[in-house]
Amino acid sequence: MIPIILAAAETHPPGFFQQFGVDWPHFLAQLITFLIVLWVLKRYAYKPLLDMLDERKRRIAESMAQAEQIKRELAMAQEAREKMLADANKQAQQFIDEARAAAARQGDQRLQQAIAQAEQLIAKAREATDLDRQRMMAELKREVGRLVIDTTAKVTGKVLTPQDQQRLAEETAKQLAA
Amino acid sequence: MAAEHAIPTHAEPLFDIGPLAVTNSMMVTWVVTLAIVLVVQAGTRRVRLAPTGLQNVLEFVVESLYEMLEGIIGPDFIRRTFPFLATVFLFILACNWTGLVPGFGTIGWGVAGEHGFTVKQPLLRPTNADVNMTMSMAVTFTVLWLFWYYKAHGAVGALKHLFAPKGGMRGAILIVLVPVFMFVGVLELISIFFVRPLGLSVRLFGNVFAGDNLLEAMNHIVKFPLDVLALLPFYFLELLVGIVQALVFMLLCAAFTTAAIMHEEEGH
Repeated sequence: MIPIILAAAETHPPGFFQQFGVDWPHFLAQLITFLIVLWVLKRYAYKPLLDMLDERKRRIAESMAQAEQIKRELAMAQEAREKMLADANKQAQQFIDEARAAAARQGDQRLQQAIAQAEQLIAKAREATDLDRQRMMAELKREVGRLVIDTTAKVTGKVLTPQDQQRLAEETAKQLAA
Repeated sequence: MAAEHAIPTHAEPLFDIGPLAVTNSMMVTWVVTLAIVLVVQAGTRRVRLAPTGLQNVLEFVVESLYEMLEGIIGPDFIRRTFPFLATVFLFILACNWTGLVPGFGTIGWGVAGEHGFTVKQPLLRPTNADVNMTMSMAVTFTVLWLFWYYKAHGAVGALKHLFAPKGGMRGAILIVLVPVFMFVGVLELISIFFVRPLGLSVRLFGNVFAGDNLLEAMNHIVKFPLDVLALLPFYFLELLVGIVQALVFMLLCAAFTTAAIMHEEEGH
């Protein structure tokens, strides 16, 4: 194309190209300079910068994916933590309830023991009292029998036989018992 | 007066290196190229994952361009086409803005005349005010475009894409329309090889050359010190024109590429 244009220009001297100073040497010199600029920019500017931009985009995408992953893991960890906390709370509540129940059970047992002990003590006291009363009654009977015999002997003025004494003592005892 | 102070339409030779006459626009091209190389080297010597300083700026520029062009070209061809499209934008922008530095067109060899000193052979000329430069970019694009077109469709697919009837027509209408599509294909070829490169190169040249002439004319119309004030709005205008023209060149290339790599089922 350009060779045709330039050749046409050479065959018609006063043409467009002569007027604007277009000729092969200057055209080629400017072309070579432009191609050098193109090569320099392509080799030393566009390639490293576009590669770097790609690399940065890749890293940003990676970082965002990682951040997303971390976020997901964090959410999972949070969920697990909450679950563990809920389990722990539940377990603790269970322990507390059990402890409370155990304490209640123990308290009842102690109360029962105390009641039993108290009843035992009362029974023993009652037994002792009964024994004392029986001993006193026996003593009283004996004393009253002796007094009745003495009084009867003094009133009647005679000496009572062992059979009389026996009979008087039994009667007195009967009457006391009644 | 305007004709007297008009900047020549072609770059002026300054000195010779062997058979090559080095022009003022070539000098500026080399300076801009050197500056780009130094900036890129400083910014990407040690590329770090956490960018700082110049790397940050370069990354911002490259990433912004990449995202914008990916939206036009699509993800399949962006890696292949991005280096050229981004370079065209950055190089044109750097050249256009460099051309606004005071001294361009005003420092050089000339003659003292009725209206003061007139520079006939400026030392510095905006790079894109030289059709050799704008055309070299347009030609590079055409060659690369052909390669991308081939990669997208294959040899047979590319020919079918150019000449074959589209729209799934059958029967008699197809026979009638075949010559029409063939003719359209020939027009497309003319567009690809002549109209597009010429349009791209002349549009950029015209805008930059006109801007340079405008600043030069204003500089001569208004005398010192008022010329500084008078030039300021035009400098801002040229800053805008500089970036707009860089964008236009790049976006047109991107649009032509997108139309070429698109398959029939996608867009035609």
